[in-house]
Amino acid sequence: MKLDRRMFLGATAATLAAPMVNAAGHGRPRVVVVGGGAGGATAARYIAKDSDGAVDVTLIEPTRTYYTCFFSNLYLGGFKEIDDIGHSYGGLAASGVNVVHDWAVDVDRAGKTVSLAGGGSMPYDKLILSPGIDFVDGSVPGWDLSAQNAMPHAYKAGSQTELLKAQIMAMPEGGTYVMVAPPNPYRCPPGPYERISMVAHQLKANNPTAKIIIADPKPKFSKQGLFEEGWEKHYGGMIERLGPDFGGENVSVDPGAMTVDIDGEVVQADVCNVIPAMKAGRIAEIAGVTDGNWAPVNAADMSTKADPDVYVLGDASSQGDMPKSGFSANSQAKVCANAVRGALTGSTVFPARFSNTCWSLIDTNDGVKVGATYEATEEKIAKIDGFVSQTGEDAALRKATYEESEGWYAGITADMFG
Amino acid sequence: MRAALIAGLLAAPAWAEDPPEVLFQIEGDVEYGTYLAGECTGCHKPDGGGDGIPAITGWDQETFRYVMHDYRAKTLKNPTMQMIAGRLGDDEIAALSAYFETLGTEGN
Repeated sequence: MKLDRRMFLGATAATLAAPMVNAAGHGRPRVVVVGGGAGGATAARYIAKDSDGAVDVTLIEPTRTYYTCFFSNLYLGGFKEIDDIGHSYGGLAASGVNVVHDWAVDVDRAGKTVSLAGGGSMPYDKLILSPGIDFVDGSVPGWDLSAQNAMPHAYKAGSQTELLKAQIMAMPEGGTYVMVAPPNPYRCPPGPYERISMVAHQLKANNPTAKIIIADPKPKFSKQGLFEEGWEKHYGGMIERLGPDFGGENVSVDPGAMTVDIDGEVVQADVCNVIPAMKAGRIAEIAGVTDGNWAPVNAADMSTKADPDVYVLGDASSQGDMPKSGFSANSQAKVCANAVRGALTGSTVFPARFSNTCWSLIDTNDGVKVGATYEATEEKIAKIDGFVSQTGEDAALRKATYEESEGWYAGITADMFG
Repeated sequence: MRAALIAGLLAAPAWAEDPPEVLFQIEGDVEYGTYLAGECTGCHKPDGGGDGIPAITGWDQETFRYVMHDYRAKTLKNPTMQMIAGRLGDDEIAALSAYFETLGTEGN
């Protein structure tokens, strides 16, 4: 059986050099996508939509409701309900994607199959991995996944986000919220600092004598001037950030005692949000397409350096200048979908073009954004042009920027899930 | 002809805000526009709905080309759109306008 499969996959490989010739050995060419977030859902939907049924697209995603990490901070701040950031896969199924709710646990690149936790395997001609992030073991001494209920990361949205919010709302009067911020590179560069803004917004309303401490290993961070201006304006005195010059890179935690040791100074925390160092989602490593913590890809089509038939999108990829964001993953997915469809059906492959914008909310109607455009070079995805909100902008512009972010959320989730 | 028009634009600030006529003469490539539109639909809903981000469906091609030109020329102000339009050539604006017209124009 396996031999037969290899035999006709061998025939497929020969036909790929001559586009327009279908993978005749097994009918429609097969694309398997692992991970149904901003990269994977978008890629699956675009290949199915634009190939009009000529490509068999399967999406493997364990959860039936996907909670977006983007806008999850707004749930913490009370601006969104948890259901506002939850999405089902019914729209993708309706657009022709075969949605399989299971875990991908292994990839046989020689045999071109993906094994599922529930048993069985899925054959592919092209494999797209968009697994998001996992955490680097030991990056915050004292913390591991078994401690995530005492000290949540809330950096994969859903139950962790709900847990963190419940802990914030249950803080004692005048209590202390500690964030252990992640080192570069990590998902959503402004995310930890938007989160601090949203936590401060909650505490200002419900627990105004509470304190927020950020232990940060980075000397600087995304939109720093904008956040620091906003924190001073809206939450003066509540937020203290300890960068590496104040020991923020020398941190350990004790989840049992709920203490955080910041360069020898022990802080008793009421809530401790540990955001560890990150790496590509595990399946990328299992597939053997990572080098270090991330999967290096070719900028022209997001194919991996390790295997031209395996693509990696979004946070898990190492691609060059784009930040790890849902917007970036969505943008990369469309370039990848165009290239994969072209390789399998002979459709026109247009030059790669990428863009990103990240909005952040600092307080009610005080939104800011940063964005850039990118192109593919031989070496990497390279930045062309960009912009960032300015300090001192008037309230009307900040309100319009926030409203724009709400429009974007509606737009990108429609683009991902149909 | 086109080079002369562009040279004229650069030399004559009085009509620097007007799009080059050639922008309205190009026949847009719908297939290319379909691909390029991926950069739009990350924010703009193709069904035209949504608050905070304007609908870009339901426009005729001329309106679409005017607006993209004005963002490209930075006479319209949104920095995201200035950046996105800033790297669109005339052929790309034409392709996008042709694609979005296939989604239907207002009143149709």
